[in-house]
Amino acid sequence: MSYSKYILQVKDLSLDFGSESTKTLHDISFDLRKGEILGLIGNSGCGKTMTALSVSRLLPKDARLTSGSIVFDGKELMDHTEKDMRELRGKDIAMIFQEPYTALDPLKTVFKNLEEVLTEHEVLTKDERRSRILNMLKRVGFDEAEDILGRYPHELSGGQRQRVLIAGACLLKPKLMIADEPTSSLDTITSMSILELIKSLCAEFMMSVLFISHDLSIVGGFCDRVLVIEKGRIVDSGNAFDLLYNPKNPYTAGLLSDSRLDPKSLDLKFNKPSFSSECSLRVKGLSAGYESTHGFRKKKKDIIHDISFKILNGESVGLIGSSGCGKTTLTRAICGLLKPTSGTITDTKGKLGVVFQDPVMCLNPAHTIRWHLNEPLKANKIKLTKEELNKTIRESLEAVGLEKDILGRYPSQLSGGQRQRIAIAMCLMINPNLIIADEPLSALDTTSGARILKLLAKINTERNTSILLISHNLRVIRAATSYVIVMDQGRIVEDGPTLNVLSNPQSEITKKLLLAETTLHRNPDKGQFMTE
Amino acid sequence: MKERVTYILSRVLELMITLLLVSLLTFAAFSIIPGDTARTILGPSASPEQVEALREKMGLNDPLLFRYLSWLKGAFTGDLGNSTSFNQPVSSLIISRLPVTFGLSFLSLCLVLVISYPSAVISSRRPGKFWDQVFSVFGHVSFAIPPFVLSLVSVLIASKLFGYFAVGKYASPSKDFGQYIYCLLLPAFCVAVPKIAMTFKFLRASILTEKSNDYVRTSKSRGLSDIKIMFRHILPNSNVSVITALSIVLSDLLGGSLIVEQVFNLPGLGRLLIQAIGRRDFPLLSGIVFYLAAMMVIVYFAADVLMNMCDPRLRKNRGDSL
Repeated sequence: MSYSKYILQVKDLSLDFGSESTKTLHDISFDLRKGEILGLIGNSGCGKTMTALSVSRLLPKDARLTSGSIVFDGKELMDHTEKDMRELRGKDIAMIFQEPYTALDPLKTVFKNLEEVLTEHEVLTKDERRSRILNMLKRVGFDEAEDILGRYPHELSGGQRQRVLIAGACLLKPKLMIADEPTSSLDTITSMSILELIKSLCAEFMMSVLFISHDLSIVGGFCDRVLVIEKGRIVDSGNAFDLLYNPKNPYTAGLLSDSRLDPKSLDLKFNKPSFSSECSLRVKGLSAGYESTHGFRKKKKDIIHDISFKILNGESVGLIGSSGCGKTTLTRAICGLLKPTSGTITDTKGKLGVVFQDPVMCLNPAHTIRWHLNEPLKANKIKLTKEELNKTIRESLEAVGLEKDILGRYPSQLSGGQRQRIAIAMCLMINPNLIIADEPLSALDTTSGARILKLLAKINTERNTSILLISHNLRVIRAATSYVIVMDQGRIVEDGPTLNVLSNPQSEITKKLLLAETTLHRNPDKGQFMTE
Repeated sequence: MKERVTYILSRVLELMITLLLVSLLTFAAFSIIPGDTARTILGPSASPEQVEALREKMGLNDPLLFRYLSWLKGAFTGDLGNSTSFNQPVSSLIISRLPVTFGLSFLSLCLVLVISYPSAVISSRRPGKFWDQVFSVFGHVSFAIPPFVLSLVSVLIASKLFGYFAVGKYASPSKDFGQYIYCLLLPAFCVAVPKIAMTFKFLRASILTEKSNDYVRTSKSRGLSDIKIMFRHILPNSNVSVITALSIVLSDLLGGSLIVEQVFNLPGLGRLLIQAIGRRDFPLLSGIVFYLAAMMVIVYFAADVLMNMCDPRLRKNRGDSL
């Protein structure tokens, strides 16, 4: 076999779901060199995941590869049987996925979860397996690997779980790692460390990485080369440096500006309230937490302590902090879902709308969109005549930029961005004074995310609705808020006008978030990825 | 380990309290419903003086709480009073019927497990395809068949056509264990059929839900075959939710099966219950009701502990995750 510098060569790959009209991939061709990190970038539904799944042949049952060839390590994979593929998977081709929270078997310890990689492909004694797993866990950054070994997945944080999964993927030193949005559900600081880990493992094991993401600006500093996919076709490709500094293709340029959320290029305008205006929410000395039962005793543990802030009418306020800092607990307390231990919450007019992170889980799959839009009215006991109701529905839909024919559809028939719009339209039905948006962008791709942010800006300026925007993403906060509150470990550690806080951070956590952000979205400096 | 012991101890304590409440409610219920025990025993022709004398002798004139406490004291020592219609202690009457009921329950539970698991696994491999359809149709039919029809038809088929199975006979397990099992096999099957259908449906749904979980994809990407993933990951995870269904099935079985026992002429608890109701035998009735409630509470308790052992997420106070 002649030496090839390519580990993977994909040629003219096409895929459909049973008929020509369902064609998802159109003649995809690319090469992946040994030791290279190749980014596969595109919005939701563009076919990037299908491309990756074709390589490891883990496609959904009804998907068909209609043409093309996939050569991996000199062998044509299209001729492989399922049994041949199983031998490759885990050993030569490893995968990590987007959702580390559910990717481990919840009933088994970390050791049991990882052990199957070794038992499947090699003959080792239990002690050998144990020491191999221990070493790999240490390598991916667990100092107390012994302790991690016996833990259950629910006892680990998202970032830790992703590290465990990476350890599992690297146990047999695969030649190719396919990473499908490995950082999308993690916060900025964790994302940065995960990417650095993958990069260093890649260099250490001479592993090639096929990195799938919707966020072009993350990929910039991480990948060597980037392919941009749109509607199942590769529309742009090149080295990361060229693509990020000088995007020639208009589609790539659009993705880039959506990802960077630059207020000027996106034409984002939020209200600048005057100091005399009234408050739409005032929180004073708020502490809240959860009860847990120990046998017969009940214990209450506060998650947030002594939180005070106010939101003026028409103001857009940001709340930042890394995962687990108490942002969600605060939201729940403000919405009345959680009884505060002490402190007061006054919202002067009492009309509150909430948009949550995951638009898939928030909508009831058994009901139509019309039912969903009616729901806030029923909950607030607002009775409208038929004309009034139709008018309010029309106005809400118009405001979020959706057509009327969507009313009869079910949530499963909508895209992620459309669902998030419906969630916002549901808020608008009661014409709220304040909308609380808890990570509204993080489940969406960059293009839909940018659109949602534009929509919030429009509601803010046109209806003078206050917005409390909760996010770990500093780009979002910078683009959309005039005042920002920083939380860490359940307390407010810093607050002030957004631009001041972000340009001159005082607290440790803000500095850390800023550093992670700049590292994550740094422009490529011709190759080298900085590791600490 | 310490947490688990504390957990089980606290659950046992809860179990005790529940049983106590159940006994109080049972006792109160049978004291409130109309009908004078002394009058029932002596028959309509007895004079009021005779009834009054018996009431006094049986302690029926004492205050309710006092009677409850003395009954409770008896219950603790295994003495549930005397049956008025059998003239025997209630506890020994119930115990004499347990071999049938326990044997039937155990055999039926085995049948439920042995049949429903394989069929659910095969069925959920390719949902909507041939075998799934076959099993689902069987499931619907056996769920819909009334127990008495099933019992009668199986008696007919088994005894008349093949001469297998000793129908209408029963041997005590201490005398002839083989015969005992042999006699119970067909009734156990009749009891089990609807339970099999129920467990099958539950398990199939649970497997299909687990199948779409991300950890299945992770294992696939590591090169595991579908069968290995099924037995190593999907089934253990499905078990957690199926335990609930099985505990309902088991507590139902332990209550005895009125119809099947009647058709097969088995001296089980179900028939004892019918007799107690028919003869207005309140001590016996309250004894059986207390037994039923206790069985149900104990089975649910066992299911809870089992679930806790299977699923680490249910074990509270472990680690520092939120």
